[in-house]
Amino acid sequence: MTVEPGTIAPDNRPVNVQAAVDKMDALLGGHIASYLDACVHCGQCAQACHFHEATQNPRHTPALKLLPMTRVYRRNKSPFSGLKKALGLAPEITEQELRDWEPLIFDTCTMCARCTVVCPMAIDIASVVAATRQAFVAAGLGPPDLLQAADNARDKGSPLGVTPEVLEDRVEWLADDNEIEIPLDKDKADVLLTVSSIEMMKYPDSVVAMAKLLNTAGVDWTLSSKGYEATNFGVLSGKSDVAKIMVERIAAAAEAVNAKTVVVPECGHAYGVLRWSGANLLGRELPFQVLHITEYLADLKRQGRLKFKPYTEQAVTYHDPCQISRRGGATADARYLLDGFASDFREMTPTGNFNWCCGGGGGVQAMARAADVRHEVFRIKMAQVEATGAPALVSACANCRLTMDESKAALKWDKELISIVEMLADNLDVPAES
Amino acid sequence: MIQFIEGPLWYLALTVFVVGVAWRIIALVTMKRPADLSEARSGSSGAGGAVKAIIQHSVPHGGNLGRTLYHFVTGYLFHVGLLVLILFAAPHVEFIQERLIGADIGWPKLPRWGFIIAAEAAFAGLILLYVHRLTDPVKKQLSDIDDHLGVWLTFIVMLTGCLALQEAHAGLRAFHLLTVEALMIYFPFSRLIHAFTFLLSRARTGATYGRRGFAP
Amino acid sequence: MARLSLSALGRRIAPGWRTNDRRSVSSWPGAIVVLMALAVVLASAPAAHAQQTLPDPDQIKSQGMATPGGSVRPPANAVNLPDTSGSSVRRPGETGRPAPAMTVPGNAVGNESVTESLWDRVRHGQRGAVVVPGAEQGVLIQSAGEEWRLIRNDQVVHYGGMLLLAVLTAIVLFYLIRGRIKIEGGRSGLVIPRFTLAQRIAHWFAATLFVLLALSGLIILFGKSVLLPVLGPTGFAVVASASMQGHNLFGPLFLPAVLAILVLFIKGNAPRAVDVSWLFKAGGLFGSHASAGKYNAGQKLWFLMTIILGVAISVSGFVLLFPDFIAERSQAQLANLAHGIAAVIFIAVGIGHAYIGSLGMEGAFEAMSTGTVDTNWAKEHHDIWYAEHKGQAMADTGRAEVEAGAAGDGVMHGVRP
Ligand code: SF4
Ligand code: SF4
Repeated sequence: MTVEPGTIAPDNRPVNVQAAVDKMDALLGGHIASYLDACVHCGQCAQACHFHEATQNPRHTPALKLLPMTRVYRRNKSPFSGLKKALGLAPEITEQELRDWEPLIFDTCTMCARCTVVCPMAIDIASVVAATRQAFVAAGLGPPDLLQAADNARDKGSPLGVTPEVLEDRVEWLADDNEIEIPLDKDKADVLLTVSSIEMMKYPDSVVAMAKLLNTAGVDWTLSSKGYEATNFGVLSGKSDVAKIMVERIAAAAEAVNAKTVVVPECGHAYGVLRWSGANLLGRELPFQVLHITEYLADLKRQGRLKFKPYTEQAVTYHDPCQISRRGGATADARYLLDGFASDFREMTPTGNFNWCCGGGGGVQAMARAADVRHEVFRIKMAQVEATGAPALVSACANCRLTMDESKAALKWDKELISIVEMLADNLDVPAES
Repeated sequence: MIQFIEGPLWYLALTVFVVGVAWRIIALVTMKRPADLSEARSGSSGAGGAVKAIIQHSVPHGGNLGRTLYHFVTGYLFHVGLLVLILFAAPHVEFIQERLIGADIGWPKLPRWGFIIAAEAAFAGLILLYVHRLTDPVKKQLSDIDDHLGVWLTFIVMLTGCLALQEAHAGLRAFHLLTVEALMIYFPFSRLIHAFTFLLSRARTGATYGRRGFAP
Repeated sequence: MARLSLSALGRRIAPGWRTNDRRSVSSWPGAIVVLMALAVVLASAPAAHAQQTLPDPDQIKSQGMATPGGSVRPPANAVNLPDTSGSSVRRPGETGRPAPAMTVPGNAVGNESVTESLWDRVRHGQRGAVVVPGAEQGVLIQSAGEEWRLIRNDQVVHYGGMLLLAVLTAIVLFYLIRGRIKIEGGRSGLVIPRFTLAQRIAHWFAATLFVLLALSGLIILFGKSVLLPVLGPTGFAVVASASMQGHNLFGPLFLPAVLAILVLFIKGNAPRAVDVSWLFKAGGLFGSHASAGKYNAGQKLWFLMTIILGVAISVSGFVLLFPDFIAERSQAQLANLAHGIAAVIFIAVGIGHAYIGSLGMEGAFEAMSTGTVDTNWAKEHHDIWYAEHKGQAMADTGRAEVEAGAAGDGVMHGVRP
């Protein structure tokens, strides 16, 4: 049996419907309730979602992703829910329904919030999806590989198996290989740098580049084996306990070295989670500021601590990671870095806060069964880049990069993908004496 | 019968409407969530974001005009037309003065041509939106009985209102009022409540993301 | 043509009405009425000065013709005034040239007094000279109104009603005898995209308005003969008033709807050779197979009719809705007749269209609801179109619906960034 992109083969995992309902009930606060009460079923969100646009399948309408919550709300929580229940207007959720919804909640939502832009009610479907994922996990559903990644992060320190020992090994290897200093576990430091295991394992050049930039600017920084993993698969998979653990580790590491700033590497959701949800997950304000690497480098450039030679090799365009730009608010900093640096910089249309997603955010990258639909989605990005005429695409997220690399290979696309950090590090204007 | 429609039934419908809407809004507003502990981006605030979101989401933005043009045009035709009719049609102004606020407070009434233009717009918008709901695959699968009932009730109310335009027959007027009462009673239990909740929904997204520096 | 008058028209088609014997109404074929009225509206409505020419009463009498309006007597309190026809008031600034004198009929005898004769002329719409400028100011009584009333209430209602009843009967009979036209080969389960979302929306928008306007219009036209006896004067007054308001309100929306149909459906509706044989075979209604492309000849005629009648009805409707913009009420009277006649024909054929598109033929309705059709249906009814598009057939109806929505029977382009 062939499975259409965005659907999953039938299986026989046991499903605890009540657990899902209880979880949704617990998470259903004023925000979600307002959203559910405002949706007018206008379907405009479909026009904004890359999964719908790439497949033109009405199933991938974002508003449908509100359905599980809507059902619980109508039956248990909404004003007049008793009346609706009595009239038979609010039927119970069935196991089959949960199974049918699973691909909508996991495989085909990158939590990019494009739909929110278009929605006349400004419904933040991404946040509802995040809450709904928790309920599905409670019921025993969810893509196994995504859940495994979260468990790995909890048990080994990183979804890709970068344990503290592996970290130490690789840092040593990178430092030796590149003849560069990469401080690990300094006692005290102003800045705690975190890394994404995707970089550690697949794009180590990016770690080297960050080290080079921070060293050049003379920053007092360190990595910490207590808390180094920036990605948070707890949030992506809907495992809230893991989500909290991951934030706690970084907070502990930062507090141990007395860091004033925690820098998040090239990773979109890592920034979104730590910067905007970290304090809420911990239940207290963070004693340090959280900056994305582009924000931090932009600061250093502003202060004159970093200077770059103009990049004249080729025309480039910039892909905004959703969680950094649209949902993170740090749209301007990457532009500030590219400004006056990339001599031929071309914006895509749309761009910035309204950019199209790469197709792999929200953990979709980690779901093997979603690969086909992801590649379909990537065609949108390809068309966007091609319209600019630029032969290279710069980005600031290792997850986007991995997604795009895979799709690029699958679709045999010939454009180049560049990490902004690597690009900057390669073109440092270092004074002669050092 | 006419007396019943204009008397007790009107007050019943008004009560259900006001109490029902208030209950739903209060329920939503009081369902709080813990304060956001993250530090707002400097120069950005939740309140500012809320206001911005409310305004911004009134029009297609972010380069999405082309994608949502049909909804934009028909939606505005219908909503503006209907709102103008509700608030400014001469018989409505008189009715509101007579029943609710007294003759001292008042505002300009629509001339006849104004009424016709508003009604044409409202009907064209509503029919076009509904026909789209019946044919567009995305909307078809989203639609439930509530969507259809809401549209039909609104259409019937508008229709009976226009049929009574001549105001020569008490029966037609009462019939219109009867359908309005049906709509008012249905309103709090249905998706029609979006006439109020759109503010809450936009404000909440705006407040959450506004402090981050950009509200989608 | 420009001077063709309503009264002349009325006399020719209904010479017997003055006898008040409705049975003696001439049985000129209704079709002529239609054609003439339509022609009048289309050709001369903008010309806008179809004056009332009053034939000499003597001539009328000597020819044994009925005098229009003659049945109306002068009001009881009419004051006998001396004939002032030769010395009517001059407009300021006019030279002393006398206005054309009304001649007193030479054989005036008995009660045909001078006053009676004046009344006659006034009653018949004779134009006098007055100081107030304006196209109709010189006409005290526009007698054509009576003629219009009689044509409308007798001829149009009579023949229109017969036409509608005939169509309904024919459809019922056809259904009883022939039954629902089935897809002979049964459904194949494969569908081909046919109509875009835009086409379907335009269709249903027009259809909604058509139904609303037809219902209210039929009440306005036939209500007096059909509903009044049932509902009584009070009840009918309410229904009629409501219908009129509704009709006036929805009417203006019909023109944009028709224009949208024109734009969206014109492709594929041009006549081709195969249409002739289709017509000869009556569309295969009675057995033999009739070939057709995307649209068969019947659909093409319906399309043409929708545009022509739709525009004619809209234009005449606007004339009636905004009388301030026309010069004389005779134009409104003509517009009203054309409006009613065109509408009755439109409705009659429209009923047939609605029948064949839903109950009458299996597999036809979905073309306008989902935008897709079964391949066997296509093979049987639009074989030429089918041959061109069978490559697009698919089993996934949902997918076909999406592709139809975006591109109709064309090929959907892929991802749009
Ligand atoms: S958040 Fe993004 S991926 Fe998820 S439904 Fe909305 S537009 Fe689609
Ligand atoms: S755009 Fe917003 S209101 Fe419309 S269907 Fe989507 S979520 Fe609901």
